[in-house]
Amino acid sequence: MAQKLKETILNPILKGNPITVLVLGICSALAVTVQLKGALVMALSVIAVTGLSSLVCSLLRNTIPNRVRIIVQLVVVAMMVILVDQILKAGEGTYAIDKQLSVYIGLIITNCIVMGRIEAFALGNKPIPSLLDGLANGVGYGLILVIVAFFRELLGSGTLFGFQVLPAGYIPNNLVILPPFALILLGCIIWVHRAIDKDLQEN
Amino acid sequence: MNTNSNVYTVIYTAVIVVVVAALLAFVAGRLGPAQDANAKAETLRQMMSAAGVKPTEELYAAKNAEILQLYADNIQEAYTIGLDGEKNGELSVSKDKIELIDRLKPQNKAILSEGVATLPVYIFKSGISVIPIYGAGLWGPVWGYIAFQSDNHTIAGAFFDHESETPGLGAKIKDEPWFREKFIGKTVEWGDSPAFRLEKNAEASGASNAVDAITGATMTSKGLNEALNVWFKAYEKHFGMGAFFHMLEEHAVETTPNAEEE
Repeated sequence: MAQKLKETILNPILKGNPITVLVLGICSALAVTVQLKGALVMALSVIAVTGLSSLVCSLLRNTIPNRVRIIVQLVVVAMMVILVDQILKAGEGTYAIDKQLSVYIGLIITNCIVMGRIEAFALGNKPIPSLLDGLANGVGYGLILVIVAFFRELLGSGTLFGFQVLPAGYIPNNLVILPPFALILLGCIIWVHRAIDKDLQEN
Repeated sequence: MNTNSNVYTVIYTAVIVVVVAALLAFVAGRLGPAQDANAKAETLRQMMSAAGVKPTEELYAAKNAEILQLYADNIQEAYTIGLDGEKNGELSVSKDKIELIDRLKPQNKAILSEGVATLPVYIFKSGISVIPIYGAGLWGPVWGYIAFQSDNHTIAGAFFDHESETPGLGAKIKDEPWFREKFIGKTVEWGDSPAFRLEKNAEASGASNAVDAITGATMTSKGLNEALNVWFKAYEKHFGMGAFFHMLEEHAVETTPNAEEE
């Protein structure tokens, strides 16, 4: 049991990472990784949404009519996303970040990871493992987001979390700021991930 | 229980939707005041940044309550004008009634369709008056506040913001202080067409109503230029006359001694 739980938590972060292995949630990984702060808030938002949606759907799993299960999942996910958005808008410190992330918080609902984990895991498992699975997938997603944002903010603006890190003479690289570079960076991360973990390599 | 029957499915979805709606309505109601306070403070930060009440970084570091107090301490009066340039309403300067940035969009529509507009003018105790501008950038709306010296002709300060311009390119209108600082000391030539130019190499002409567009952000610059000129046009009758009289006054002072000699 403990072994299984451990796997539930570790698998989505490493071997079954939603971004680098399952290649889900790419769109927002390109959009919100220009600055670390935004990426971190986005990551935390996604962790909250995947975790809580999986928990609620798992609690409801035996009552949901099979024919409308996707719709019920959507309603639950949408509710969580709106809650996160409302809370970010209400916080004095998070308001500016919510403004900066603009539509991408709302678009968490279209993030395949959320619905994917509900369909694949939460509907067939007990609430606690489902919660952990959701959280862990969110962490796996957030980890990649933060790594990508680290390089993009460092090379694109010369800052980290808004603080100047590179010397003032550094000329920011505009390519790094544009979405295509995030895709290149993501490719590099997948490459490194596969080079380390030989199990992921195809013949 | 048969969870696949039609009756069950209909009732189940109805209940879920009602429960979720009730929960969201409750949360929105509870968080509403805090969100309003944030939106108000944000509007005031941008306005006071343009008016030069305090440096922008200090405004953004300050708490909401401090911002409201700062506004209350510095604002003189606020009113609205129509497209004919005449005053058509008073705005409360109480810190409970602040016009949010959200209100600029319908005003922009009113200007473009030549409908009934109530365009705000904020006058600070320093004699500086602030007006908003609003328009379309590349990916979404861009807006800002322009502050005028008491001659209603010279720009005392500016602040620009956007919803979703490209970070590092169009987003520079907000992120780069040098961009808004370029506007300080420039003039708006009321009555001229265009009243202001935000264009490539505009500064090279030496005109006092010109600022260079941002390299790599052509569409955002174009949108901002459009926003500036559409709104300046709307305020032209109001400020244009004022600036004209101001010029006359200056002129009168210069010429009076001569008149006496004759």
